[in-house]
Amino acid sequence: MNISLRSAVWFLIGITILTTPLVTGSYVIGVMCFVAVFGAIAVSMGVLLEQAGLFSLAHPTWFGLGAYVSAILAVRGIAPPWLGSIIGAIFVACSSFIIGAPLLRLRGYYLACATFGLLLVVEIGLSQMGSLTGGHEGLMGIPPLSIAGFTFETDLHYYYLAWALCLGCLWFLHNMMRSRIGRAIKAFSDSEPAASSMGINVARYRLKVFVLTAVMASLAGSLYTFYLRFTQPGIFGFPLLVELTTMLIIGGGRTLYGPLLGAFVVLWMRELLHLYLGMILPRMTAEVDSIFFGILIIVILIFMPGGLAGWVDRIFGLRRKAIERVGG
Amino acid sequence: MNLFSQTIQYAVSGITGGSIYAVIGICWSLVYLISKVLNFASGEFVMLGGMLTWAFHRAGLNLAASGILATASTTFMAVLLERVTIRPVRRPSEMTFMMITIAAASVIKGVVLLTWGSETRSLDPFFGNQVIHFLGATITSQVLCVLGLLAAVTLGLSLFLNRTLFGKALRASAVNQTGARLMGIDPSSFRLFCFGLAGALGAVTGITITPITFTGYEVGMLLGLKGLVAAIVGGWTIGGTVIAAVALGLLEGFGAGFISAGLKDVFALLAMIIFLIGMERWTYHRR
Amino acid sequence: MSASVADGPLLEVEGLSKHFGGIKAVQEVTFGMEKGSIVSMIGPNGAGKSTFINVVSGLYEPNAGNVRLLGEDIGGIPAHAVAAKGLGRTFQLEELFESLSVLENVMVGGHTRSRSGVFTCGFSRPSARREEKRLRDEAMTCLEEVDLTQRACSPISKLPLGERKLVGVARALAMKPKLLMLDEPAGGLAAHEVDQLIRLVYRLKSRGLTIFIVEHNMPFVMSLSERVVVLDEGKKIAEGTPDEVRNNKEVIKAYLGEEI
Repeated sequence: MNISLRSAVWFLIGITILTTPLVTGSYVIGVMCFVAVFGAIAVSMGVLLEQAGLFSLAHPTWFGLGAYVSAILAVRGIAPPWLGSIIGAIFVACSSFIIGAPLLRLRGYYLACATFGLLLVVEIGLSQMGSLTGGHEGLMGIPPLSIAGFTFETDLHYYYLAWALCLGCLWFLHNMMRSRIGRAIKAFSDSEPAASSMGINVARYRLKVFVLTAVMASLAGSLYTFYLRFTQPGIFGFPLLVELTTMLIIGGGRTLYGPLLGAFVVLWMRELLHLYLGMILPRMTAEVDSIFFGILIIVILIFMPGGLAGWVDRIFGLRRKAIERVGG
Repeated sequence: MNLFSQTIQYAVSGITGGSIYAVIGICWSLVYLISKVLNFASGEFVMLGGMLTWAFHRAGLNLAASGILATASTTFMAVLLERVTIRPVRRPSEMTFMMITIAAASVIKGVVLLTWGSETRSLDPFFGNQVIHFLGATITSQVLCVLGLLAAVTLGLSLFLNRTLFGKALRASAVNQTGARLMGIDPSSFRLFCFGLAGALGAVTGITITPITFTGYEVGMLLGLKGLVAAIVGGWTIGGTVIAAVALGLLEGFGAGFISAGLKDVFALLAMIIFLIGMERWTYHRR
Repeated sequence: MSASVADGPLLEVEGLSKHFGGIKAVQEVTFGMEKGSIVSMIGPNGAGKSTFINVVSGLYEPNAGNVRLLGEDIGGIPAHAVAAKGLGRTFQLEELFESLSVLENVMVGGHTRSRSGVFTCGFSRPSARREEKRLRDEAMTCLEEVDLTQRACSPISKLPLGERKLVGVARALAMKPKLLMLDEPAGGLAAHEVDQLIRLVYRLKSRGLTIFIVEHNMPFVMSLSERVVVLDEGKKIAEGTPDEVRNNKEVIKAYLGEEI
């Protein structure tokens, strides 16, 4: 896609995000706020899994740890939410670094299994440490976020904050992937021996990507918990992993923005599902959502492996070929 | 109970658990070795065995008939899984199959939850409530059934794979698919067979364990994962898987008994993580 | 650069050995290379030539022996560190980065000669952008060297074999290496492509580059090399000028299996 068309699309998206709250009610704002939060996590997970080729299934864990650390600190009055979020990010940075160093030596499905184990261990751990974390039921009564005297209270406040975070992460990752760092990442995921021979310290870069994306998930988690004003271990476990995977697969991981598109589709689909099927079925829990997401994942993996973004790119790819022949 | 008999009791429960993990691990190996598919629905087959038997039994059938029907249904489900989700994949890769089977497992779990709710269910022990006493510990008849199941499966599979023509063809296909094709073997039907067999074995395992540990829509995931740990640690062989599974079971039994019951699953998961890292380090140093 | 380092040989290999379990891939190989020379390594299939390059470049750890680059011991240090010390290489199977374009592949070669970190790049600081431009210009120069500038924006998947090999060379050149090691650069190439490659190697040598080539293609090796090292079953069995090696009994025996 040529540059000016892409910029135009981003401009339009930006305007849409800014103006949506003005024309819709708090329900839409709420859902779009979730789209931003989960979009940020999904995009960072996309970089980790697709660009860097690191099949870590532990991504929801960092989301959860960021949420829990900042929530615990806020509920006990140890640190205000904004500071708690930063401390949570630092905690996650350190944990992901310490855990990542030995874990990231694993490749392929071994890494997937080990990180899946980590996901479950942390979820169980959070449920079991009742005195600290509120156990199975989680923590309630978490104070809202406030920065420099301004308190974020309404859906609208969090909407803008969430989109600022999401687009900020997207912008950062976009710059990074187009630089020597991004090339190094794609290089070692394509061919480790060649990347090493070009001077890329593969182990160190894998760890850097792991920690960076973990911190992004952690910040999203902190924001999420202060928005909801409560947290629970069940939110950060296997069903979330399925949801994020669905976003990645639907949106397509080849592009950076794909998972954000996936988040939009998945969350709105879930709303529609709850709306229409909630009338027929007795309960719409995350596990029931998983039925539809599971079927969707299977269908897309079989018939459209590149996801929606892959499909979009293929349409615009026609233009790219013309440019190559003329200019390149 | 004194410490010694406590230890024996934990060991018994550990070996029971380990036997289950062993059969589940064998289910993983059967499918993985023949087709490189990591079937994350393995645990759900086990869950279905127990749940469906309970459902049929509640609907009026006797225990034996329910069990047979449940096993047949689960086998059918496994076969359906292979035909509908695995076979049509255009660009097969280990990760794609893994994600597909994880998705399928979610679907199965969700449907079971919707249909029968979230309560745990149980079955009556096959041979009643008789117990025997061994070194101060109590062993129920059902535990003996579990051990019997493990013995039957291991023995039966070994004989099948080593002594029958079909079994040998299966092993050949696992080692070298192209070579097997040249001999007229169709790997895709072998894969189907292995899926079906894994479904049947998983179901029978689930039925056997339900009187002891109960069943519910959630049990599949952890059971499946522990079976996977056993298969990986055991190097995907029958003997290795059994040893690894029993070791894992014992670790769990002692950990849950002496340390904390709530953290029971954590022991297995940590064991898996530590083992995977350790194994990687060991192969790295032979570079 | 101190006088002693500049005077000594560029590459010294002493008693280098590498085995995999029972297989002795490289056995006590010793030789040296002067700056600006072209040395080739030949030998029958399975002689250990590729393993040799992999050990020297750091992908494998040697079991015994020393490797010194410009007097500095590089035995056993990982590949990315060896690359940073000035060793550039190509691969027998090219090992290009399929998700990057041709130009981007070559720009990866410039990795050791750039320093922008994750945050500098992520926040798009001016220093990162300047460095990016420099890397791009340098990469284009490397592509000019191998005559492939017209393919700069092309994805790798579209390239024929000959051009893929050239991209590999350009990528190694972007490292501005002190020693360039080519692993079977002529493999699978048509005659005119081999000629193009020979001319390229001569050009590189005239710029003062030291070049080590592992190759099967005899005319290629014999026309280019100042010295030839022959490996058979991991052991060095001969070393000398192309003519000396061509007439060496041991070499003939290794290739043809009998004395003539």
